[in-house]
Amino acid sequence: IHGLTYDGCNFFRQRLVLSTLSGKRVKISNIRSKEDNPGLRDFEASFIRLLDKVTNGSRIEINQTGSVLFYQPGLLQGGSVEHDCNTQRSIGYYLEALLMLAPFMKTSLKATLRGVTNDPIDPTVDVLKSTALPLMKKFGIDGEGFDLKVVKRGMAPGGGGEVVFTCPVRRTIRPVQLMDPGKIKRIRGVAYSVRVSPQMANRIVESARGVLNQFIPDIYIYTDHMKGANSGKSPGFGLTLVAETLNGFFLSAEMSSTPQGQGDPMLPEDLGRNCAKLLLEEVHRGGCVDSSNQSLALLLMTLGQQDVSKVLLGPLSPYTIEFLRHIRDFFQIMFKVEVRKPLEDERKGGDKVLMTCVGVGYSNINKSLK
Amino acid sequence: MEGKVKEQKRHQQKHSGPKAERKKLKKQGGTTDEDERKRNPKAFAVQSAVRMAKTFHRAQDIKTKKHHIPLVDRTPLEPPPVVIVVVGPPKVGKTTLIRCLIKNFTRQKLGDICGPVTIVSGKRRRLTFMECNNDINTMIDLAKVADLVLMLIDASFGFEMETFEFLNICQVHGFPRIMGVLTHLDSFKNNKTLRKTKKNLKHRFWTEVYQGAKLFYLSGMVYGEYQTQEVKNLGRFISVMKFRPLVWQTSHPYALVDRMEDLTDPESIRTDPKCDRTVSLYGYLRGTYLKNKCQVHIPGVGDFQVADVNFLPDPCSLPDAQKKRALNEKERLLYAPMAGVGGVVYDRDAVYIDLPANHVNQQQEEVRPTTELVQSLIDTHATLDAKMAASKVSLFSGSATLDPTGIDEQSREEESLQEKHVWDPNTQRNRRKVVFAEEEEDDVSSTTDDEYGDSEQEEDEDKDNLSEFLKEARAKSEKSAKNVTYTPPVKRQKLEKRKEEGEEMLAFADSEDDLEMSEEEESKEEGEAARARDSGHCSEEDEEESDDEESENESVEEEDDADDTVKKQTESEEEEEQGALQWKDGLQQKASEAFLRQQEAAPNLRKLIYGSVVEASDSEDEDKELGGLFRVSRPHNSTKFQANALDCSRFNPDTFHDWDLEEMLNSIRDCFVTGKWEEGQDAATLLKEDEELYGDFEDLETGEIHKGPTEQQDPAEQQNDEDDEKEEAEESQMKVDDDEDQKNKRLEKKRRLKERFDAEYDDGDATYFDDLKEEMQKQAELNRTEFEDVDDETRVQYEGFRPGMYIRVEISSLPCEFVTNFDPHYPIILGGLASAEGNVGYLQMRLKKHRWHGRILKTRDPLILSLGWRRFQTIPLYHIEDHNGRHRLLKYTPQHMHCGASIWGPVTPQGTGFLAVQSLAGTKANFRIAATGVVLDLDKSVTVMKKLKLIGYPYKIFKNTCFVKGMFNTLLEVAKFEGASVRTVSGVRGQIKKALSTPLGAYRATFEDRLLMSDIVFLRSWYPVSVPQLYNPVTSLLLPVGQKDNWEGMRTLGQLKHDLGIRNNPNTDSLYKPLVRGQRRFNPLHIPKELQKALPFKSKPKQQQPKGKIPRDLQRPSVIREPHERKVAALLHALSTVHNHKRKKAHMVQHAKHKEFLQQKEKQEEAKLKRQKEARKKLYRVMGQMDQKKQRSSLKGSSQEN
Repeated sequence: IHGLTYDGCNFFRQRLVLSTLSGKRVKISNIRSKEDNPGLRDFEASFIRLLDKVTNGSRIEINQTGSVLFYQPGLLQGGSVEHDCNTQRSIGYYLEALLMLAPFMKTSLKATLRGVTNDPIDPTVDVLKSTALPLMKKFGIDGEGFDLKVVKRGMAPGGGGEVVFTCPVRRTIRPVQLMDPGKIKRIRGVAYSVRVSPQMANRIVESARGVLNQFIPDIYIYTDHMKGANSGKSPGFGLTLVAETLNGFFLSAEMSSTPQGQGDPMLPEDLGRNCAKLLLEEVHRGGCVDSSNQSLALLLMTLGQQDVSKVLLGPLSPYTIEFLRHIRDFFQIMFKVEVRKPLEDERKGGDKVLMTCVGVGYSNINKSLK
Repeated sequence: MEGKVKEQKRHQQKHSGPKAERKKLKKQGGTTDEDERKRNPKAFAVQSAVRMAKTFHRAQDIKTKKHHIPLVDRTPLEPPPVVIVVVGPPKVGKTTLIRCLIKNFTRQKLGDICGPVTIVSGKRRRLTFMECNNDINTMIDLAKVADLVLMLIDASFGFEMETFEFLNICQVHGFPRIMGVLTHLDSFKNNKTLRKTKKNLKHRFWTEVYQGAKLFYLSGMVYGEYQTQEVKNLGRFISVMKFRPLVWQTSHPYALVDRMEDLTDPESIRTDPKCDRTVSLYGYLRGTYLKNKCQVHIPGVGDFQVADVNFLPDPCSLPDAQKKRALNEKERLLYAPMAGVGGVVYDRDAVYIDLPANHVNQQQEEVRPTTELVQSLIDTHATLDAKMAASKVSLFSGSATLDPTGIDEQSREEESLQEKHVWDPNTQRNRRKVVFAEEEEDDVSSTTDDEYGDSEQEEDEDKDNLSEFLKEARAKSEKSAKNVTYTPPVKRQKLEKRKEEGEEMLAFADSEDDLEMSEEEESKEEGEAARARDSGHCSEEDEEESDDEESENESVEEEDDADDTVKKQTESEEEEEQGALQWKDGLQQKASEAFLRQQEAAPNLRKLIYGSVVEASDSEDEDKELGGLFRVSRPHNSTKFQANALDCSRFNPDTFHDWDLEEMLNSIRDCFVTGKWEEGQDAATLLKEDEELYGDFEDLETGEIHKGPTEQQDPAEQQNDEDDEKEEAEESQMKVDDDEDQKNKRLEKKRRLKERFDAEYDDGDATYFDDLKEEMQKQAELNRTEFEDVDDETRVQYEGFRPGMYIRVEISSLPCEFVTNFDPHYPIILGGLASAEGNVGYLQMRLKKHRWHGRILKTRDPLILSLGWRRFQTIPLYHIEDHNGRHRLLKYTPQHMHCGASIWGPVTPQGTGFLAVQSLAGTKANFRIAATGVVLDLDKSVTVMKKLKLIGYPYKIFKNTCFVKGMFNTLLEVAKFEGASVRTVSGVRGQIKKALSTPLGAYRATFEDRLLMSDIVFLRSWYPVSVPQLYNPVTSLLLPVGQKDNWEGMRTLGQLKHDLGIRNNPNTDSLYKPLVRGQRRFNPLHIPKELQKALPFKSKPKQQQPKGKIPRDLQRPSVIREPHERKVAALLHALSTVHNHKRKKAHMVQHAKHKEFLQQKEKQEEAKLKRQKEARKKLYRVMGQMDQKKQRSSLKGSSQEN
């Protein structure tokens, strides 16, 4: 009775994740129905399989062509899960959804994901590790079992990487007031390279520092060169930069080399410089949460107790905007959106958005009482 | 007398003596306290560390025990009316009590009471009364929504089972406040028995609720009503009562529906009288925020999706915040649409007017039916004809009959442990009296003992504060308010003459419960309020006439005004409207749209995200559009998104800033710590602040002392202080402005000191608990202020509908029986469900059979559960956890133990309590609540295992190998169990090896020993049991009027068999037969020869054959003696006998002698030993002395000895 229907494959993960959390069934139709190759792609199928692994009793129906998906969520089971992620998308694609689900499982999650750790499309595992995890800690999801470990690094397109994500279980989520990001006190980063000359990473660091040194001297970019079994199947290199503010918020930017055999190769110097500029862009956008984690923060606010939560964000990304609409569909929660224009003499980047909501009072119905 | 006031005796300042000295000492500094410690340090020393630790621990324990987990205070500013449920068996006086209370609070008489009645009882409190009838369904539903329960007990009869059942229901669903009320006390003729009964009932009530629970006594009736003073006291208790937040209630939105309208199209009803109805339900929202389009459960009907919610102006609003103590007559509102009182109610699609009765001064009894008729006509406004045709609508809603239980029940007295059925001729029903063992004893002895005679007086003596205030208040009011007649507004309040009671007996019920309020001040305040309220009445008497008219028109006028203004607005802006508006006369909606248009004028991020609110209201369109076109947050950056675009959370805007430009770089300079800081946080300012705070410091290197500005004043002030005292002493005349100056300075100093103290004290004593509490308080403050200045229409979108609002909930597709069989005496509750609570799944719970329920429960017998909002029938499986974590199926619940239960039912959060009953219909059972428990776990699968023993028989036995048949039927089955361990009855263990081709299902197994053909082989295994998926919501509200308590669901197997007259043929194997035991024969033990050889002789089998006959050749011939020989032999024999005897005798003598000798020798030996011991002792003593001497001398020094 209380199902929701959507069209198209866009925002596929949002819909399934929110459906799982809210217990509302969802039907997605017209998935690439007009294309030559209609239906779900392999990576989406892989995502559904992952979802099936962490839940118990969910019902998934896909029609012959794969253009209609019906999903009736079960309960989140958790436990030890191993999944070979499809290499069309990186592990970040799967991990983003898992981050949203992990605190609400029956037993604490230990997920071993294999596949592409770094690619240019999705947020890489390094960025999620350095931004999403501290963000979740602000919401009270913390403890010794909360970790994301990059065991092996695998670049697109070959993959061969492995990460282990462990997350404890929470019954309720704390309301937060993240209003003042504070000033950036340090910049950290990882320049990684696999199956290429280790010198590449140094070249990246050099150029990135050149841009960022104009602002702050406290910059340290680690070089991470993985070898042998830990280096995956494809060559590549990249850089992730994280700016930490005084109040403990993280803004990030990243860039990876173009995958082997897809497009023009990239010079490490260019990559470093562009990535640094991306970080400046991110700083310009500002807020307490960086642009790729906006939806995670908003979800955790929604699922908080019935109290007012506030968070200051940079401009909303289209993904986030759609996420807000989905939240309204699934949880009947609307956010109060206020634009915070910078003052005249302030040099703190562009407009900010203050998001306010009252949580739904979600309590983890999966966790057992004993 | 002189103009000057006589000067008082001066204070004599002591100049000498101990007092003066002490003062001097004080002035010099150094307190006496310290002196004491110095002078007598022993008195202040730590005597015992253990004791000190103990006292410290105890102090900490006491301190910590007081703590509760702090919760965020989420009570709304304007709380919904308090739900007061009046419970009790029939004919106990529930309706009378409600009527009296309403009369007490509003000075109105309400005739027929059906449905909730809401009144304004005070400046900040409203009450909703609801009567609970004797149906267990109603009891369960109302226990879930009650804030306060008035539990009526017929004292002349004693406790009835219903009371205890209700108490247990309350316990399970969170314990609301419970107040007992004893009625029918006037039926006692003997004062002593009255006192005794009161006491007995009170103590029993206390054991059930809590020690000291409030029990009110309503002593008698005056003209069919309770005594005014007693009702007044009860009312006062209710109006000051505090309520505890209950977990389920605070986490779910709910409403007690007080009005219901059928909105179905009359045409569709005409064509199909059984069509699903669209119904709007009204009520105050309670609990927490209600979201539009959410799921609700209506107990007794089912789950529904809310089609639409809107809030309406409060029909029974609290008075405006004005500085006055009491309510005036106009503000004492009464709202009970189901009972026919409501005034003008306007709605989205209609305006309902309760037509005023023209004949104001008529008797109440005459007025009531007319208004009721009108009201019921109004209620059924549009579809009257259709409804009349379709069903028997009860025009007079009070005509519902109460409890038509069978008259065939004879007046038997069923003797049982707890219950005694008593036939009551007045009520025509079987009353279920509760009988306690002790009570009966008491009854026997009651005639003799009168020790308790004065207990009541004692209780009366310890009256609490309230009674004092009541007395005062009443005395005042009596003085002033004599012969006052009120003619309250015609429309809302019905005329009622206040009777003057000359002799108002002050009858306080005893109150061990000290008045729910903790602070005395509050009660004081209340007392004052009461006083003022009374005086308020008197002042009004001049204006009675004008008041009448005013109030008559006021509300109508107000509505008109609002209507007009909104209309004007909408008309003027009609042209600009883009979207076609369908509303005909929905005022609220129009207003909201007007607001929206204003909103739209400004560029709005919210609109970009959510679309306009009108769009939001019809989400179906929205849903379909979702994949369509929309714009990005930033206006300059509009992009088109395909429904099938790449699903990626990265935000890569199309236009990048050029970060090579200096101005771009400058635009984010301040984001870094190296940039410019805000005014307040700049390092320079912070430093300066620090300097102000910690002004003086000593430069240790130079020895220079820097002094802060504040400290520089201090010595001066000290001077001043000293001056002050001097001046006091001298008593010199000071000028007024000087005084002022001094005072200011002193105040300033005091303030500063206090600030410093506060800072120090708070920091020093701040614990984790305090921090947590402060955090919660901050959150509560934020919650309250965040949406304060937003108008309701918008606020509702963000927060949802907040508790305290009067809402109208539209639900489509309700079953038609809900409307046709509507009975206002039964409560309709809208229970909001959280997002996942609409689903169904397996629930694991902990369950215990109720100790008062007669029988244990059987697995797979259907049971009716009350869980969350719901009542439903389901089939539970009982199980218990083994130590390895396995859930083993039980056939029956344990007698006095918890066990697990698995059911298929609605998903409900863990920790929710539930209760179970076996049947809802009738009151056959002794105590109807069969079990209680709590939800532990939710899952989509269950792991209950049943123990299963498979039995097989050996048909061929080799040494340790054996072929077994009869356990399985196919090869495949055996294959599944290959390697499983098996056992025989005699305890020989073995293992299944491999299946055999013939016979089917036979297998080869090996054992640790050889089996016998008579052995039975069995395989112990566990078989998962599936929980039957029965979830059958109890639809008691859909039953016809008068039969609503007769809901019957699935019958148990036992009931079915009983009803159909089926008897099981018992298994012949289970029958008892005479036991015939055959002779058991054992084979002889055979030991192989080889082994025999190896055995030692002892263990060798002995040849125990009896001796055979000796052959003839071996037999010796017998000897026959000659007579002479015989003589010789006889003589020899005699001689030898004599000789033997002699020898024996000699031996005896010898033996005795020897014995004596041995004794003697022993004695000697002993003596010798003793002597030797003595000698040795002596020797040792001497040696010891010598040793000692030697040692002593060596200590003294060798020279002397030597």
